[in-house]
Amino acid sequence: MDFQLSDDHRMLQDSLRGILARHSGEALMPALLEAGVPQALLTEAEGGFDGSGAAVALIFEALGRAGASLPLIGTMIGAAALAQAGQPADDGATIAFADAEPGTRYDRGVAISVDGDRLTGRKTMVAGAEGAAAIIVTTADALWLVAPDAAGLTVRPYPLMDDQRGADLIFEATPATRLGALADFDTVLARGVLAHAAYALGTLSAAVDLTLDYLRTRKQFGQPLIAFQALAHRAADLSVEVEQARSAVTNFAGHLDADAPLRDRHLQACKVTLGRVARLVAEESVQLHGGIGMTEEYALGGMIRRLLAADTAMGDADFHLERFARGEPAFA
Amino acid sequence: MDMSFTPEETAFRDDIRAFLKAELDPALARKVRLHHDLTKAEMEGWHAKLQSRGWLAGNWPKEFGGAGWTAIQRHIFEEESARAHAPRIVPFGIAMLGPVLQKFGSKEQQDHWLPRILNGDDWWCQGYSEPGAGSDLASLRCEAVRDGDHYVVNGQKTWTTLGQHANMIFCLVRTNATGKKQEGISFLLIDMETPGVTVRPIVLLDGTAEVNEVWFDNVRVPAANLVGEENQGWTYAKYLLTHERTNIAGVGFATAALDNLKRVAKAQRHRGQPLSDDPLFAAEMAGVEIELMAMSTTNLRMLSAAAQGQAPGIESSMLKIKGTQIRQRLDALTRRAYGGQAMALTLEGNEGPEGADEALAASATWLNNRKLSIYGGSNEVQRSIISGALAKG
Ligand SMILES: Cc1cc2nc3c(=O)[nH]c(=O)nc-3n(C[C@H](O)[C@H](O)[C@H](O)COP(=O)(O)OP(=O)(O)OC[C@H]3O[C@@H](n4cnc5c(N)ncnc54)[C@H](O)[C@@H]3O)c2cc1C
Repeated sequence: MDFQLSDDHRMLQDSLRGILARHSGEALMPALLEAGVPQALLTEAEGGFDGSGAAVALIFEALGRAGASLPLIGTMIGAAALAQAGQPADDGATIAFADAEPGTRYDRGVAISVDGDRLTGRKTMVAGAEGAAAIIVTTADALWLVAPDAAGLTVRPYPLMDDQRGADLIFEATPATRLGALADFDTVLARGVLAHAAYALGTLSAAVDLTLDYLRTRKQFGQPLIAFQALAHRAADLSVEVEQARSAVTNFAGHLDADAPLRDRHLQACKVTLGRVARLVAEESVQLHGGIGMTEEYALGGMIRRLLAADTAMGDADFHLERFARGEPAFA
Repeated sequence: MDMSFTPEETAFRDDIRAFLKAELDPALARKVRLHHDLTKAEMEGWHAKLQSRGWLAGNWPKEFGGAGWTAIQRHIFEEESARAHAPRIVPFGIAMLGPVLQKFGSKEQQDHWLPRILNGDDWWCQGYSEPGAGSDLASLRCEAVRDGDHYVVNGQKTWTTLGQHANMIFCLVRTNATGKKQEGISFLLIDMETPGVTVRPIVLLDGTAEVNEVWFDNVRVPAANLVGEENQGWTYAKYLLTHERTNIAGVGFATAALDNLKRVAKAQRHRGQPLSDDPLFAAEMAGVEIELMAMSTTNLRMLSAAAQGQAPGIESSMLKIKGTQIRQRLDALTRRAYGGQAMALTLEGNEGPEGADEALAASATWLNNRKLSIYGGSNEVQRSIISGALAKG
């Protein structure tokens, strides 16, 4: 067994850390593009140079830790799906991934229907839909490509919990190109799930670190909070759970290219673990901070919202727990 | 043992229901249900409606213009109001300051301030917490120095709920910095329009700004605004806290949240069926409902013991912990019911996903209600109170 990063991945990690230390906000995406980070998310066949579970996990963990909110997961899924369907996307173009539907937890094809090569209905919470070069849409059993300026497509934007812009997409007999059956894109979608989980890992470890710092410095009753055993034990429990979350991501990243049944068990276990730990960390880190943890000005607030969003995306802990228990595949 | 309500109590419940049906504007109830910020006028309007029935101050004795309700009546009123999504009565004047003035205030203070609370002339807020003094409230530093017939106040308060609407603030201030820290604290009423008072809003996780920071820079406060005796404020503050903790179980709010969760679960699809038919989710909902059933009776048992003259001890701490746990669990389940839809967070005024204001409310409520286990004495502080009492045996 060897849990060390390869030399290539260590270099990737170093350069990513450097970029994240130097750039934030609007400037981040161009810097990541320039450094070729998105290419590391794609395989050579997809026009990238890595696309391994390890690369995806380390990139999104770093982005989560840095609190970067970018439409990168949709872009990764979209670019890989397009490449697989033989329609490579432009480098540097944002692609939106439209999956969630109103009126349902995670069923697909409830609010949207297909008639020939036209889509009618709705998708919701679509990150990065404004300004996307392409939109990838899921229906009950297929994946579709829709042009952002397609006839009969309305984009209604609003802010998302994780500080990204999202949108409702309304399709009225909107022309779309069928990329293939959902089941044929399971490796691409699995990479998206890994990205969300790794992002949550980075976010929750940052939240726990911040909380531990706070417990060491905030004084009440003449002592640092960490001196109160009731809090110290909870801090200990949190650090135990962070390690579990890390292992769950490691398991899934290491099995991303395994046969579908084995990969899916790890995928589900990973999303369940990350969802559970993310919820726990969100609740506990606010509570351990007291009032300050509930404020927008303090860094914790954004972390909490990003944690909740990462759990929610592409099937939350409940969704994947049920599928794991039933022995069902992750997609389709 | 008789677990049914008396005919009088049942009639009282019917009265309250009829009133809510007739007087509560459905649009306002919807705002409350979706956890939108209410305007000052909306809150004041609701107070005025209640006051016109003599029901604003259920907890005050009749001699001070209150309704003089029993604890059970108050419970019924709170439960019905919450289930109907009526605005909650802003607690600072009615539930907190009123009882303190009634017990410790001078005749002049009672005559002046109490009617103004009832008729809405004053909007009070609570100036206890400071950046350095949260759970350890007695370490507060905001100081008041006597200067002739005034106190001069300097310092900072924080987390002042709805302070942006308030014209008056009741404060704990330090009037003696030597000796035991609990013994140098006074209870002072401060007009927020006095020169030297600054209020700055604090934005919370859900984008609302219901709390504020308040600064005092050489603020001159008439000595007549001191409640009780100088340096005895801690006693009054503790008395106020016992009042702050009535209705602490929040049974009505939890019941309303459970009703809402069931409605959402019925509407949401899961594997092509209503989510409420899903055995896993249904079991989780049933689990909280069962907890709530027990808590509701724990609450009533404790209310009825108090009505028979048994002094409340650690019961309110128990209710605070259990009540907030149940509400936070309900909030979490409601978010979970929305699955992929629960990702938006729209601040009021921004456009949101069409028809998804319910889903938005679920996330915003989850975020906002983290406060339940923090304020009014955090759940950890409540556990310390309980375990302290248990240790004594
Ligand atoms: C939304 C909101 C509204 C509020 N409204 C008001 C208001 O109107 N007026 C007002 O005066 N105040 C108000 N408060 C303040 C509230 O009472 C304090 O936030 C609360 O007392 C906790 O203090 P703190 O935030 O400083 O946290 P801290 O006291 O720093 O506590 C941080 C964490 O440590 C724990 N802790 C602290 N000491 C111990 C100990 N000895 N043992 C074990 N655990 C411990 C706490 O439980 C908490 O989990 C409000 C707070 C919030 C969040």
